[in-house]
Amino acid sequence: MSDSGSKSLTKANRSLDDGVSGLISRIQLPHGAGRMIVLLVGIFAIFSILNPRVFLNPVNLENIGVGAPEIGLIALAMMLTMLTGGIDLSIVAIANFSAITVSSLYTAVSVAQGQAAAEGLTIVFLLAGIGVGALLGLVNGVLISVVGVTPILTTLGTMQLFNGLALVWTGGVTISGAPSALSGIGTATLASIPVLFVILILAAALLALVIDRTPVGRKIQLQGANPIAARYSGISSRKTLMLTYGLSGVLGGVAGLVFLARNPSASADYGSSYVLLAIVIAVLGGTNPNGGVATVFGVILATLTLQVVSSGFTAMRLSAYEYSIAQGVLLIAVMIVDQLTFRRRRRRALPLSSETVAVQTQKAHEEKTR
Amino acid sequence: MSTEQPTLEVRDIVKTYGGVRALGGVSLRLLPGEVHCLAGENGSGKSTLIKIISGVERPDSGDIVIGGESHPYVSPSDAIRAGVQVIYQDFSLFPNLTAAENIAMLTELADRRKLSSRRRIRATAERIVADLGLRLDLDADVEHLSVADRQLIAICRALVGEARVLIMDEPTTALTHSEVERLFGIVRRLQARGVAIVFVSHKLDEVLDISQHVTVLRNGEVVSSGEASGYTGRSIAKAMTGRDVNEDRHVDDLPESAEPLLIVDSLGRKDAFEDVSFALRKGEILGITGLLGSGRTEIAEALFGVHPADSGSVTLDGTPRRIHSISDAVEAGIGYVPEDRLTQGLFLDKSIADNMVAASLSSYRGKALLLDRGRIGRSMADLFQRLRIKAPNAKAPVRSLSGGNAQRVVIAKWLDRKPSVLMLNGPTVGVDIGSKEEIFTILREQAAAGMGIVVISDDIPELVTSCHRVLIVRAGRIVAEMTGSDIAVDAIQERMTA
Repeated sequence: MSDSGSKSLTKANRSLDDGVSGLISRIQLPHGAGRMIVLLVGIFAIFSILNPRVFLNPVNLENIGVGAPEIGLIALAMMLTMLTGGIDLSIVAIANFSAITVSSLYTAVSVAQGQAAAEGLTIVFLLAGIGVGALLGLVNGVLISVVGVTPILTTLGTMQLFNGLALVWTGGVTISGAPSALSGIGTATLASIPVLFVILILAAALLALVIDRTPVGRKIQLQGANPIAARYSGISSRKTLMLTYGLSGVLGGVAGLVFLARNPSASADYGSSYVLLAIVIAVLGGTNPNGGVATVFGVILATLTLQVVSSGFTAMRLSAYEYSIAQGVLLIAVMIVDQLTFRRRRRRALPLSSETVAVQTQKAHEEKTR
Repeated sequence: MSTEQPTLEVRDIVKTYGGVRALGGVSLRLLPGEVHCLAGENGSGKSTLIKIISGVERPDSGDIVIGGESHPYVSPSDAIRAGVQVIYQDFSLFPNLTAAENIAMLTELADRRKLSSRRRIRATAERIVADLGLRLDLDADVEHLSVADRQLIAICRALVGEARVLIMDEPTTALTHSEVERLFGIVRRLQARGVAIVFVSHKLDEVLDISQHVTVLRNGEVVSSGEASGYTGRSIAKAMTGRDVNEDRHVDDLPESAEPLLIVDSLGRKDAFEDVSFALRKGEILGITGLLGSGRTEIAEALFGVHPADSGSVTLDGTPRRIHSISDAVEAGIGYVPEDRLTQGLFLDKSIADNMVAASLSSYRGKALLLDRGRIGRSMADLFQRLRIKAPNAKAPVRSLSGGNAQRVVIAKWLDRKPSVLMLNGPTVGVDIGSKEEIFTILREQAAAGMGIVVISDDIPELVTSCHRVLIVRAGRIVAEMTGSDIAVDAIQERMTA
């Protein structure tokens, strides 16, 4: 039990807290996207000042544009599953499976019928890669929505499964060979913008359209916002989740094509650090891990931010280890800011229990009748 | 006021939540051996006051006096040490533990025992059960026990320690007449032992049977307080609401020609309800009532496919329907406003418009599979106005709405789908009086336009005021049907508990 001394101390504490978070919320722009713009511009400026000769070099800038798409596509898939309150840990394994499928098909046809025949079937191979991605995504979807295993365990299991199958298939070695049109895309530019980057932007725009402007996209959002209320609104979680993980698989499939276009080779253990990085990007981009909130724009900005940090570190001759420290610091810093603003907002707004709601309405009613 | 030393006293307690005052200077004296009735509507501040006394919430100002010593607030462990025990409406028991474990486990923990002993637990439980002269199967898992038995377990648990103040929140809601009598017997025994008892209830006649002192809260203030002998049920009700209670019926005549819309024939689900048959006509408002656990909610949830029935048949508009899932029900044209608005009905962080369109998204598909945002905007604006939702605009998040407005959003969600039958479970729980009336006005309008409406509620006066017919459910069966002028509060209450 307290005396008046500790009471005033709490009060002082509270006002200090208010001051700090007030300051932070004034710097903050609304939503994940606004925050990421500030962060991206800021970090870009810092590296430009620290080492302008290397960092602002067109080759470096192009590297950012070429490096961003593969992780960006994976982060978009991650965001989509997190929007429903789930997660897809198998997404990189799916991407590798897609890349290996395309490369193997291409090599097999080249050997059997000559390279010209293989080049002629490029479109078929690419569709096969995306199709494999969709199929593996649907495996996740079935396990999660029909069998009812939690997303994190399902995709942990399928990550191991897909990855293991890919290892067995390739014998654990990096396989080379990709349709020349695809590897051409890997180095092509459009008005000095890498084509791969254009692909990322197109995929992002399409995904944004699906999420915001189609019935099923809205259902995905509602499923994540409150699965129980979604159920009571007649929304079939089975269909919604099936589609979500299928779509995530498609994005993984496309990411696999980008892997192959860039390198141009495929292996079962390519991009092994991408799973956690994709989660970092999705959350930085304003995705609520509990579901219901995510913006494609925010995720694209977060992808660019981390790519800028990565290439900036390279320009500063810092190692991959230090880059990983930076990722962690960025994520934690953004989470702290989020918590402070959330706490502030909550203190200002009414905590919503039925009791307080009732209090509120009754007051309003009293005032009206008075 | 008595000069006797109170067991616990609160003085001038003020508590605000985010600028809204839940308690505005409330004082209360709890005397040993006295049953103190705390009455008030939803949102009057009863729960907040209990939370402050039990240490769950801290007051902004005021004093809590225990045993002559004054404190600005108490912590939950302070409260327990001072002998304050609360039995909440849901009893907060562990369903997977036995009765004995539920009764004694917390004391085992409080005694900081490293190892718990089955024998000691059993002995503690037996002692208190014998003490109160109860009959309880101590080895049964709580989840298999009746509501009344669970309540007895909660009481036993509260009394294992040296309880000096016992607060009971709506203890009789789920009990039958004879069970209530048994509970009152126990309360009188506790009284004789000098325990100060707070009885929170909205069953006013019952409260007057058992209490010596009455305090009525309204809008966070004590509007009336005094000896129980000075009150009648009606005078307490008036103090609670600030006006005379109106039980006049306000029901439009149903034309003789009104066709049956929903025909339910010998519907049943194992361990929930059986042989439920009724017909709902076009334009009819049908009430279904019963005690908590009687099966009233289960029947509604079976019709909506949440927990489908396993026998019987449902015919809607002349077509037999198999309802195995919520999608089946929605497809068939049934809408359901669920009991737990906050978790089952609303997407709290989404906007009003997003919530209202949630059940009918697919019908707004326009060009190239995209949603026709113009059409959505127009429908939502129309609903927003028709249901008189009080918010700056339809973009406001639902979290910011009051109970009454939030409920209108859930209703709007279904109206946008134009169902032929709309079922509402506890439509006015946590809703202020003004909104209550407006919600029923909306339902009457919909009924007049030909919709069939089913209201599941334990707010009997509101059923009396608005329903063409009332079905009473007891132990999973429809035990009575009342029509027209037969519908009256007393008659319904009698059949519910009989």
